[in-house]
Amino acid sequence: MSNTRVTLKARQVSFAWDKTPLHWLPDDPFATHTINVLHLLLPAGERWFVHVYKQVLPYIRDDRLREDVIGFIGQEAMHSQAHDEVLPHLKEQGLDPTPYTAQVDWFFEKLLGDRTLPPGKAREWWLMERVALIAAIEHYTAFLGDWVLNADELDRRGADPTMLDLLRWHGAEEVEHRSVAFELFQHVDGSYRRRVRTWATAFTALVFLWQRGARFFMENDPTLLDGKASFKDFYRGGKRGVLPSTGAMVRSIPRYLSRSYHPEQEGDTEQAVAYLASSPAASAAEARESARQGVAR
Amino acid sequence: MKPRTLRRAVVVAGAALVVRRALRRRVKESPLWPLPALEEPVSGRPRARALKLLVTGHERIADGVVQLRLEGHQLPAWQPGAHLDLVLPSGLVRQYSLCGDPEDSSSYTVATRLVPAGEGGRGGSREVHEQLAEGAEVEVRGPRNRFPLDPAAPAYLFVAGGIGITPVLPMLRAAEARGADWKLLYGGRTRASMPFLEDVRKLAGDRVTVVAEDEDGRPDLGAALADTAPGTAVYCCGPEGLMAAVEEALPEGRTLHLERFAPRGPSDGDRPFEVELRRSGKVVPVPGGTTVLAAVRAELPSVMYSCEQGFCGTCQQRVLEGEIDHRDELLTDAERADSMLICVSRARGDRLTLDL
Repeated sequence: MSNTRVTLKARQVSFAWDKTPLHWLPDDPFATHTINVLHLLLPAGERWFVHVYKQVLPYIRDDRLREDVIGFIGQEAMHSQAHDEVLPHLKEQGLDPTPYTAQVDWFFEKLLGDRTLPPGKAREWWLMERVALIAAIEHYTAFLGDWVLNADELDRRGADPTMLDLLRWHGAEEVEHRSVAFELFQHVDGSYRRRVRTWATAFTALVFLWQRGARFFMENDPTLLDGKASFKDFYRGGKRGVLPSTGAMVRSIPRYLSRSYHPEQEGDTEQAVAYLASSPAASAAEARESARQGVAR
Repeated sequence: MKPRTLRRAVVVAGAALVVRRALRRRVKESPLWPLPALEEPVSGRPRARALKLLVTGHERIADGVVQLRLEGHQLPAWQPGAHLDLVLPSGLVRQYSLCGDPEDSSSYTVATRLVPAGEGGRGGSREVHEQLAEGAEVEVRGPRNRFPLDPAAPAYLFVAGGIGITPVLPMLRAAEARGADWKLLYGGRTRASMPFLEDVRKLAGDRVTVVAEDEDGRPDLGAALADTAPGTAVYCCGPEGLMAAVEEALPEGRTLHLERFAPRGPSDGDRPFEVELRRSGKVVPVPGGTTVLAAVRAELPSVMYSCEQGFCGTCQQRVLEGEIDHRDELLTDAERADSMLICVSRARGDRLTLDL
């Protein structure tokens, strides 16, 4: 079976960036930077996931789901840390991401933060709204995870192995835990209207932040004279296979909005687990864990 | 089409065009318009960064002691007393004090003593001695400093036992450069097993007392400590027994700073203690084989955690009182001052008070 349930656990990965070039996909600054937007959004975004899930834990009345959510939280915390470590490396190469990430920080910490709400209904409404937003975003992280695990074109074009390993370790864990956010949402709320509403918000926000991030990188890249980002470039990148294809992205929309949607239908757990078994960073994490347990014994 | 509908369509299209132009102009002026930014950005300031360094020196500097030179470029700065996490080929993570020159931003120097399995060695030092040969790559994290030198102290007494000289050596150089009043008591089993003996002699002259156990017996700690002026900062690094003895013989009015080569296995120092949950008004016992997390969870089932191994940071809790035995690999020195990861870290004393 390709979609058996796996126990979710965080892996103590670690990436050294000293040798990764600015354009880690050779001669393709646009695709590089479009994917780099992940490093801008994820540190703050995944920190926010953890923050929200800490509050929703008391609402869970299913032991297995609680276990999944606890594993999910640790994985997301590690994703946030791992992407955060790329940012100083970008800065050292002359591309300071702080003006943008400070806005993303504001977006998640203030705009989507806890807000001063009266306890009771209003507070619960805002918590459920955010849980639903996370489920919608996780639809896309699983989509991207599945894409990057299968993006052989990146290997063919000589992408930096460390960056590929970061993206694929992260992508594989997203595929591995793709059902958790949706199942949690169904468990604590599950309203279809809320699913549609929060999907629209999340999708708009993602498109807005992503195109803006790509333009920010292209305009501030010290090696480009007149860096521009356009939808046409994105479409072409999708055709070449160095970015997700526009068609696949459009087709994923009705799937999430279908009443019979379940994340199990997307992606392939077996492929994700197989990648994690071969990933240099995840294998090193495995070695660290058994070394630590060897000591404990 | 009715003329009215047509007119409305033209007006809407015209308005859309005007808005689009205005927005474009606005964005062109300032590309990051219109989102505000967080004043104190959080992202982009990771707690630690991994570096892959090249072993360019592997030298035996005393009996059973190897010094490594790890080369990189534009390495993070450090202060005397700092240590580095080395991720060894097997996955073991070990802390080693930096003993080189803090001004050198192209390499780090560490020295390690081979601890045989019979003396409680757990394989880390053997790996350093046997596998980190010249030309090997090693991943490091840090540096961090749990043993900083107080620049304001009127006088210093350094007490080093064997390999415990490593964090002290850069302190001596810093104190000397500052023209401070300092003394060193340096003990070891035999002279041949004591690293940096020559460097220390050259630097200290008659301010160092070298005591080799096989020739001179145990150092007279009581006399050395009694000889200090009030206000003296005492820095000690060495075996557990030495540090306990210094703690005991410390006269009133001196401050003591200890650097423990913190053992990570629960076999060492896994003593029972109790945890007070201040906000819940409860006290829970933490027996030897149990973590703080497990003990707290029995009282407060909704307390957060995830990896249970001290790296994801989910279980971080504020500590109001009590001395912490940090065993995680994540928190920064600033965070360690008032918080802990309850899944792995424990108490040094008999009680910890958590803000729970």
